[in-house]
Amino acid sequence: MSIKAPRKGENYELSVDLNSEYREKRKDAIKRVIASMTVGKDVSGLFPDVLKNMQTDDLEQKKLVYLYLMNYAKTQPELVILAVNTFVKDSDDPNPLVRALAIRTMGVLRAEKIIDYLCDPLQKCLRDENPYVRKTAALCVAKLYDLKPELVIDNGFLEQLHEMIADSNPMVVANTVAALTDIHIAASSQPSISPNDPALFPISSSILTKLLIALNECSEWGRVAILNALARYVAKDDKESEHICERVVPQFQHVNGSVVLAAVKVIMIHMRGVRREDLIKQLVRKMAPPLVTLLSSPPEVQWVALRNINLLLQKRPDILSNEMRVFFCKYNDPLYVKVEKLDIMVRLAGENNVDALLSELKEYASEVDVDFVRKSIKAIGQTAIKIDAAAERCVHVLLDLIDTRVSYVVQEAVVVMKDIFRKYPSTYEGIIPTLCANLDELDEPEAKASLIWIIGEYANKIDNADELLGIFVDTFTEESYPVQLQTLTAVVKLFLKKPDSSQGIVQRILNTATKDCDSPDVRDRAYIYWRLLSTDPGAAKAVVLAQRPPISIPRTTVAPALLEELLGEVSSLASVYHKPEETFVGKGRVGAESLQRKTDAPDDRFSTSKALQTVAAGQQAENLLDFDDAPAVEGRPSGLAATEVLSHTPAAANLLAGTSSNPLDDLVSIFGAPATPAPPSANSHDIFGGLGVNSTFPSGGTGSLGSPAVQSPSVAAPPLQKNQQPEDDLLGLF
Amino acid sequence: MALDGIIILDHYGRPIIQSGFRSSTTAYSLLHIDAVNNALQKAERSADVDSVIYVPPSNTANGSSACCHVEVGDLRFLCPVSGDVDPLLAFAFLQTFIDILREYLGTVSAATLRDNFDIVYQLFEETLDSGGHPLTTYSNALRDIVIPPSLLNKLLSVTGTNFNSTINSGFGAGAAVGPFSSPLPWRKTGVRYNNNEIYFDIIEQLKAIVNKNGTVVSSHVHGKIEANAKLSGTPDCSLNFTNPQVLDDCALHPCVRLHRWNRDKMLSFVPPDGRFTLMDYTFSSNPLTSPTPTQQSLPSVMSSRSNLAIPFMIKAIVKLEDSGGSFDVTLTSRYSTHALENIVADINLGAGAGGIRCNVSRGSGGGGFINAGGSRNLDTSGASSGASWSFDAQRTVLRWEIPIVSPSSSWSLHGSFSTGTRAPRPSHAIRVRFDISSHTYSALKVGQLKVTNAKENYKPYKGVRGRSSGEVEWRW
Repeated sequence: MSIKAPRKGENYELSVDLNSEYREKRKDAIKRVIASMTVGKDVSGLFPDVLKNMQTDDLEQKKLVYLYLMNYAKTQPELVILAVNTFVKDSDDPNPLVRALAIRTMGVLRAEKIIDYLCDPLQKCLRDENPYVRKTAALCVAKLYDLKPELVIDNGFLEQLHEMIADSNPMVVANTVAALTDIHIAASSQPSISPNDPALFPISSSILTKLLIALNECSEWGRVAILNALARYVAKDDKESEHICERVVPQFQHVNGSVVLAAVKVIMIHMRGVRREDLIKQLVRKMAPPLVTLLSSPPEVQWVALRNINLLLQKRPDILSNEMRVFFCKYNDPLYVKVEKLDIMVRLAGENNVDALLSELKEYASEVDVDFVRKSIKAIGQTAIKIDAAAERCVHVLLDLIDTRVSYVVQEAVVVMKDIFRKYPSTYEGIIPTLCANLDELDEPEAKASLIWIIGEYANKIDNADELLGIFVDTFTEESYPVQLQTLTAVVKLFLKKPDSSQGIVQRILNTATKDCDSPDVRDRAYIYWRLLSTDPGAAKAVVLAQRPPISIPRTTVAPALLEELLGEVSSLASVYHKPEETFVGKGRVGAESLQRKTDAPDDRFSTSKALQTVAAGQQAENLLDFDDAPAVEGRPSGLAATEVLSHTPAAANLLAGTSSNPLDDLVSIFGAPATPAPPSANSHDIFGGLGVNSTFPSGGTGSLGSPAVQSPSVAAPPLQKNQQPEDDLLGLF
Repeated sequence: MALDGIIILDHYGRPIIQSGFRSSTTAYSLLHIDAVNNALQKAERSADVDSVIYVPPSNTANGSSACCHVEVGDLRFLCPVSGDVDPLLAFAFLQTFIDILREYLGTVSAATLRDNFDIVYQLFEETLDSGGHPLTTYSNALRDIVIPPSLLNKLLSVTGTNFNSTINSGFGAGAAVGPFSSPLPWRKTGVRYNNNEIYFDIIEQLKAIVNKNGTVVSSHVHGKIEANAKLSGTPDCSLNFTNPQVLDDCALHPCVRLHRWNRDKMLSFVPPDGRFTLMDYTFSSNPLTSPTPTQQSLPSVMSSRSNLAIPFMIKAIVKLEDSGGSFDVTLTSRYSTHALENIVADINLGAGAGGIRCNVSRGSGGGGFINAGGSRNLDTSGASSGASWSFDAQRTVLRWEIPIVSPSSSWSLHGSFSTGTRAPRPSHAIRVRFDISSHTYSALKVGQLKVTNAKENYKPYKGVRGRSSGEVEWRW
């Protein structure tokens, strides 16, 4: 800056033009300055020259000068002071646009010295006769609060804003609500906020009335702001909940998708308080069409809609029960949309539409996109497990797919078949030869492990089971750990079922596994089996061949308590990620909000926030998702909190137990591939790393969990308590 | 916290222009640009990149954020959001902003943006508050505060007169009233036309999936009514339909009075000035069960979205061999009165496809002459007039284009392709897009349009047109 600008070059010419006596030349020069600024050239040296052009009747020129000021205010705060007088003068201009512009720009400049001059003009503009100025001023208060909260409080701006909620102009109301909400959020993120802090913006019933009136008259963005405020309101009784729902429902007919989604959120929240069954039914019915309409939007909007629909369906499976066809995938849909549609289709599957679904899924399995093909085949397995009556048809579709002999199709189908065998034991043994015929084509660990599990499970019915397993025993040390574990268990099963013919192979594998294997999990499991077999074959049978509970698809992919929380967040990032907000955005908010919730203290709320903390903490501990929060999220239990919560609150127990009361069942169903639409298998392996991959797999080893015989030498079966932690993380992942 | 701003990237992922970010670090917007570019680089198809990208916090910025982005032509619009914001809000805002840009600049491209930095900045300022709240987006109101770059302005600016006061209040007519004083946020006051006109375009789009037996698996028709109002004063319009029962899932422009619509299916509104979308709807093809005035049992409506006849038929015979395949596709129009126009059929031949040989021909049927029924006289001389094919080797998509398929005529495409060493794995679907002019699937008819105006008395010219398009996935 201090270096004198050279007397030539672009900037020099600009500076000459900026000082031209012709106004048009000056205006043109300003435009060129702006253009240079945009492409990244440094035109800060022209600051004084540009500033001279600030006093003008030409509004466009004024705006451009302001733009320049905003851009360089950060680097040259001392020069901005020179502009203060003009700002203050402009805030008194007869033209309301100029007044609004001055106020808006002063709010943006963020220069300490300007702020002190802002208060008086702002005071005036808040009472301006022109609504455009008033609504601009309202937002300016929020910005001022962000910079210097004490100025806002000392000048009584908060009181003024509260008065403005009753403004005659709906847009002013909407902006006021937006400003108050911003201040509320900023204030409640302070660690030491008292519940009576003036900056907080609790929605009272008198405010509610005003909001409901303004709602129907303002712009779409205003509606979103108002709807978000309505979502925070706590209704006094069911009458009031009904009233809110009835008033908000017409918003479903708005063209703007974000208004629709914000309205859905308000309804979902206040529907909790509605007792009239007929009204609830009506509301649910009205919710469907606008959601379906969103699906005709561009893919990115579709995706957001689909994520939200997915969430809503978990709470209200009946919303779209007849609409499955809407979710059929087109081959040029982006992958992220297709995957979401698949998930929803399976969710909507029932006996009446399963045929349409299956022929559709079969179609997808012949697609070009490998990822999508795999997911479609998985979906077939999920359908089989979900609808008993359709299982046989699903198996036929899978057999057809195996016939195609496309490598990844076959492998995925084998994995899915394993799940079907687990759900319907001893039902489809007839197809085992077909599966075994494809043994050579399998090269993915999961597919191999699945087939080995099937062979082990049905060893007594497969004549050449020892031959087949022999192939894997020969290559044992080259296989990946999951395959090794499966082979080990399958061979032991074989031995227990056909002791005469398989003495040799079991000896061989126990030897190899204990001596040549570098995975402690595999070695330990081999030792256990060895010891069991040598001391008490009966106990070994009880452990390895134990009955396992059948798997089932959990109705929800997120825990019930978390689901409630997320439903309150419909139409937000949280609902798109299916994770509570505090796990992915800034720090701090957790403290205040959950604190508030605790003082609100209906029990379910409390346990919800507890559960949330658990999920959040779990995620932090494992750092699964790259969603690494800033390290300090104060006052939250970390890591082991999971187990602690488990014993206290029923909601948290639910969180762990999913839908069933049997924790083991749930473990199996969650870890088993079919239950989980979301995570790619590689991921889940990572998660289990240390704890032994066996738990992802329905092996004899995990089966032993249920049996009292092996509670203690537990390598194959780590104590339940420990296992619950990764499960938490898994839940977060969904 | 809400929408943090807008960044516009060019084709190469470099920022062209961005709105002023309030964030204290300048790195903030760079982080987002980086995150998007990285994601795009990693993805095989740019369309497969998640539309909401998580952006981890850098050590300087506090807190993480997300970036919503959409592609528009060669450009990519980013909207970083921090805090728990509805991504749909970001997308809705981006869409609105892009529409505004189109209105101001005509085409939105890197070049037009560069030529109009000043306009774009002003639009940023007026549409998005730096605190993240969308502001004025009604183009009627915007035009008052940001002057479109028209020839008129250029002329005026040459003369160098001070015309601001007039411009700022709506081309002079409402100078006394001042901006934003209109009681209707979407309509400015004091509008005056010599010729009062209002036009409606009923535009419907069919989206369908047909399976290999020719059965329609799913089909949906989404329609919208676009209007262009050039009416003086504050006109009050009421529009009704002779067959409103075909309309379903209606989403209305905020100017429409909801209670009138819910009560007697009458669109009663004071229109914005200029172009706007009056309503969006879904066509329910089974009017008998759909609800009349009041909301009734919706489940019956849902199931009644029965399938609609597809305007054409495709027969595809594809033979796959070890290292290639041959195909024989015939497209026959099922319509006897309307011609299908601008037909584009895409077939994805799968990885490794190449060595395409194709032959396009016009099949029998339909004749060169036109049946009665009001369709235009079509030039169908020549065996394959205008039909052509092309192959995009990068996306391995074979595209077959036919400008016009006259009623009941048929066209065919034979050819073969090879896939080198690997087995062919084409997508088992043909995606066909087409237009039909002067036609709507729903046969929605405007019954009556009344324009009343308290102060002035004029008879506006009224016009209604229909137009359809479709996108059908035909599997084989």
